[in-house]
Amino acid sequence: MAKVVLASALTRHLSDASGPGEVALQTQGATLAEALGEVFARYPNLRGYVLDEHGGVRHHVAIFIDGTALADKAHPQAPVSQSTEIYIMQALSGG
Amino acid sequence: MSANSKQSRLLVATRKGLFALARTNGAWDVESVSFLGDNVTRAFADTRDGTWYAALNLGHFGVKLRRSEDRGKSWQEIAVPEYAAEDKVATGDGKEPAPAKLQLLWELVAGGANEPGVLWAGTIPGGLFRSADRGASWQIVKGLWDRSERMQWFGGGYDAPGIHSVCVDPRDARTLRVAISCGGVWQSRDGGASWNVTTKGMFAAYMPPERREDPAIQDPHRMVQCAAAPDHLWIQHHNGVFRSTDGGMSWSEIQVPPSVFGFAVAVHPHDPQTAWFVPAVKDEKRVPVDGKLVVARTRDGGVSFDVLREGLPQRDAFDLVYRHGLAIDSSGERLAFGSTTGNLWLSDDAGENWQLINGNLPPIHAVNFE
Repeated sequence: MAKVVLASALTRHLSDASGPGEVALQTQGATLAEALGEVFARYPNLRGYVLDEHGGVRHHVAIFIDGTALADKAHPQAPVSQSTEIYIMQALSGG
Repeated sequence: MSANSKQSRLLVATRKGLFALARTNGAWDVESVSFLGDNVTRAFADTRDGTWYAALNLGHFGVKLRRSEDRGKSWQEIAVPEYAAEDKVATGDGKEPAPAKLQLLWELVAGGANEPGVLWAGTIPGGLFRSADRGASWQIVKGLWDRSERMQWFGGGYDAPGIHSVCVDPRDARTLRVAISCGGVWQSRDGGASWNVTTKGMFAAYMPPERREDPAIQDPHRMVQCAAAPDHLWIQHHNGVFRSTDGGMSWSEIQVPPSVFGFAVAVHPHDPQTAWFVPAVKDEKRVPVDGKLVVARTRDGGVSFDVLREGLPQRDAFDLVYRHGLAIDSSGERLAFGSTTGNLWLSDDAGENWQLINGNLPPIHAVNFE
C-alpha cells in the first residue's frame, strides 16, 4: 500500500492525468518495481519519463523512499511497505 | 502544390518550444506555439500525409516524439527509438565503452514517396532507426549499427557520435545516404541492410597526419541532396565544404568566402549547381566573420560565390546557425534561417534580400518549410 507521488513536472506531460499539479496514487506492490509497475499501468506514457530504455531510473530523475534518495538507480527493487511514501521528481541538477 | 509556388509556413524548433509561422497578406506571424518552455530539437511536416512531427528533449525525462494530425492544434505522444540492453557505444578517442541510451533525436525525415508511413531517425549515440508505422514503433538499422568501424567514430559536439543527415534517394527509396558527426558518410543500396563508407576526397585537419583521410572519423556537419539531381550532394564539413556529383562516392573541396567553417547548407531543389551556406569563424569561436552575418551562395557548382548581406546585420552580430537551421522551400526561391540568438530571417529571392521576420525567438535548433 505504498503511496506514490508524482511531481508536477512529470504530470504536466501526462495527457491522461487529472490535471496539473502533483498526483498521488495508492499501490499494492511489495517492492518499488512493483509499485512503479502499477503506476505505469495507470499512466502508460509515464514509463519512458521515469525509466530509460534499459529499465533504470533516468539519470536526472530522483526517487525518494520515505525521504531517502534511491541509491541503486539501475535496479529499482527496494522493498516498500504499507506506510512507505515514494516521491518521483526531477533531480535538481542545475538551476 | 506546383513546383514553382512558394511554401508559406515555417516550423521553427527552438530551445523553448515549436513555433509555426505563417505568411498572411505578405507578413510572417507566429500562427501557433506548441510545447512552450520545452526543448524542441527537430520538427518536420510530412508532405505525403500532412502529419507534423516534433522531437523533444525534456532533459530530466528524456527524448520524446510527438505527432500532430491537425497542424499543431493537438499532439499525440508516440514511440521513440530505443537501444537494447546489449547495445554499447565505444568511440575512437579512447572513451570507455558505455551502454547505449537515446540522447538526442537529431534527424527525422520521411521515407520515399512510395513508402507511406516510413520514417527515418538519426540519433545520438549513433544509431539509425526506421519506422514503418508513422512512429508508432522503431527498429534500429543493424546493418549500420553492427559495423565494426562504428567503434572508431567520435562525438562531434557531444560525447557520443550522432547521425544528423539522412538523404532518401527520390529515384529509389532503398538508396540511403547518411552523414555522421564524426563518422563520415555511409550509403546503402538495399534499404539499410548493407552499408559502405564513402568519403574519398574529404580530410580532417584535426587528426594526426596519418589519420587525416580516415573515413570513419570525418566530421560532416550537414549533408543535403538535390531533389531533381540526386547524384549531387553538398556537405558542410568541419574542415570545409565538399561537393559530390557522383552520388557521394567521391568529394571535391570547395572554397567558400568569407570562411569555409559553418554548420548549415541548403541546395536548390531543381538546380544542383546552386547552394547556400552561412559561414562562421572556424572552430573555437563560431560567430560570424568580423561580426557581419552573411550568406554565401554559389550558382555554378562552387566555382564562384556571391556573399549576400542585404538585410542582414553587418556589425556586432554573433548569430550562429546550426546544422538544421537553414531551410529552402520547394520553389527554390524562398529560404529561411534561424540562429542561436533567436533571430529568424527570410528571403523571397534566393538570398539576394533578407528580412528579419522574428528577432525574439528562443535559440533556434531547426527550421523547416511546410
